[in-house]
Order: sequence, then C-alpha cells, then structure tokens
Amino acid sequence: MKRNPAALFFVAAVVAAMLFVGFHAARRAGGDASADSLDVAGKPAPDFTLQSLDGKNIQLSSYKGQAVLLNFWATWCGPCKIEMPWFVELQKEYGPQGLQIVGVAMDDASKEEITKFVKEMGVNYTILLGKEAVGQEYGGVNVLPTTFFIDRDGKIVAREFGLQSRSLFVDNIKKALSQGHAVQAQK
Amino acid sequence: MQMTNKPLAIALLLVTSCALAQSPGKKAPSVTMAPVEPVTVTRGKGGAVSLHFRVASGFHINSNTPKSEFLIPTALKMDAPTDIVLTKLTYPQGAEMSFPFAPNEPLSVYSGDFTVSMTVRPLHTVQPGKYAIHGDLKYQACDNAACYPPKHLPVDFEVKVLKGATPAGKNPAQSPHAHR
Repeated sequence: MKRNPAALFFVAAVVAAMLFVGFHAARRAGGDASADSLDVAGKPAPDFTLQSLDGKNIQLSSYKGQAVLLNFWATWCGPCKIEMPWFVELQKEYGPQGLQIVGVAMDDASKEEITKFVKEMGVNYTILLGKEAVGQEYGGVNVLPTTFFIDRDGKIVAREFGLQSRSLFVDNIKKALSQGHAVQAQK
Repeated sequence: MQMTNKPLAIALLLVTSCALAQSPGKKAPSVTMAPVEPVTVTRGKGGAVSLHFRVASGFHINSNTPKSEFLIPTALKMDAPTDIVLTKLTYPQGAEMSFPFAPNEPLSVYSGDFTVSMTVRPLHTVQPGKYAIHGDLKYQACDNAACYPPKHLPVDFEVKVLKGATPAGKNPAQSPHAHR
C-alpha cells in the first residue's frame, strides 16, 4: 500500500500537538507539579536571614505560626512579573488568615533598581535581597520563578517551578494555612 | 525504516524535544556557537567575521536591544590583542515575539539561529602569524513559563595575519602579544 508522506506528516503533527497540549493540561491540573514537590514536601524550610529593601534583617523563622509563600524571582524574569499582581491580591486576601508572602530577588541589579521595579509593580508584600547561598539551600534555584509553600510549622508543603496557574497557588496556600500550629508570629 | 515513516519520526522527535524544553526545570537552556574557520586578514586591512549562534529549541534569549531596562541584553564582549582591532560589532535585530506570560507585551528576542558579525583589522605593527581571539557571549534565556540565570558562552576564533605592504619610511614594530 502506498502512503502519502505529507498526510503522514500531518497526522504525526496532530498527534504530537495533542500530546503536547495534554502534557500541559496535566501540568496545569497539578499532576506534574505535585511530582515536583514530592522530594521536598514535609521537609523543614531552610532558615535564613536576608535584608529587606528597607534595610531590615528578616529571618524566615520569625514567621513561624504563619504560612509563607516564598517566591524566588528576578527583575529580568518575565513570568515572575505575571505572578506579582496575583501575589498582591493573595496577600490581601489570605494575609488576615496568616499568610505572609516573601519575595526573594535573585538579581544582580542594585537595591535601587529592585526598589524601583517593586514600586512599579505595586508590591505589598515583603521583598528580600537574595544571596546565592540561600538559593543553594533551596536546591540551587536554577529556574525562576521558583515558589515554595511553607506551613505554619516551617515545613515545606509544595514547590512549583516556573509560572503556574493562579488556582494552583491558591490550592497550595490553603494547604499551607491548614497545616501546622497557628501562633502569634514573633516579630 | 521505510522512507514514508521518516517524516513521522522527525515530527515526533521535534515536538517531543519541544515539549521537554517547555517544561520548566526539566531541560537547561543553552546557546552554542558554530566552529569558526580561521580568518585570514592582511595587516592594515579589515576582514569580516561572522559568528553563528544557535539557541536551543524551546528557548529564547533577549536581543541586544531588549524592550525593557530590566531585561538583560545579549552582549558579546571580545578581548583581542591591542594591535588587532575589532570594530563594527553588529547584532541582528531581535524578532518581536509575544509569549504566554506576556501576551500583550512583545519582546525583542533571538531564537533558533542568529549571527553576530564584526570586522577584524590588524594594525600595520602586527607581526604576521596566527592569533587567538577570545571573548564571551552573555545571554539570559527563558522559555514559555520560566527564566534561567544569565550565562556566559566562551567565544574563540583564530585570525591569521598576513604581511601587507609596509608603509613607506616605517619600520614595523614587534607586536607585544605572543603568538599562539
């Protein structure tokens, strides 16, 4: 039987496109994301002290009793910019329930440039100036954004690489808020 | 494998590698440079050099003139001997592309293959011979959902300087740089 190469190519392209879309739909549904988180879930979030944009030393463990969304980002990272308005809203919505969003800028840019960027984005949550050593503690942070969800006891609930859906963030925030013991943060 | 199955295999290979590249953190971005043939130039005259780079499938890097001050431009920094002058460093224009993370803000990027060109001009004082020119290409890559820290790609090529006509009344000096 003779086969038409163009038709075969078309069929192959359609099948491959379906696989591609299916793969991404599964990611969006959280299937792959939970696999990403498996190796860190339940482990204590490494503690660190970093400087905030207003010059204060902030220790991660000072948020014990609160759930923390720890977001590694950079000014040069386009996908990170998409998440920032979501984080602004989520901080407003879940802050009263005990959520603290912390952005760690993994940037070579100056403090002034980062401050300018953060102001332009209308950020209402804590931004810290990142250090390579802290990134290493969190597995290298070779992909931005990388986001960790930490429960009230300081344990990692989930980790997400790259831009994810807002609904996945909400699910992980709810999980982080529901785990561990709520205590008054000592700040 | 029959001839008719080849397109099928190629299509599947292409799309599979594309899908892998689009999964953040699953594949590291890379830019590679094609080997450059030694450039032969007569001293005192200029010769064109083209450096051909390839961005791995599924990734893009900013052009030399990105659209935001916060984006990191692709930049080639060369370190040539003082008496071999590199001029007219020319970057291609970036392609205006929109991405899922910023559908309304097209970025100026390089993806696939791009070429950076320059002119090499050894001064009259250069000793004829072979010279190694080194440099690096700084780039910062992203895919559709994530970005990766800036990287440096070493760039090397060789210039073969030929003896040209000595300017009248001048005694060519020694190049301060040793031959390779």
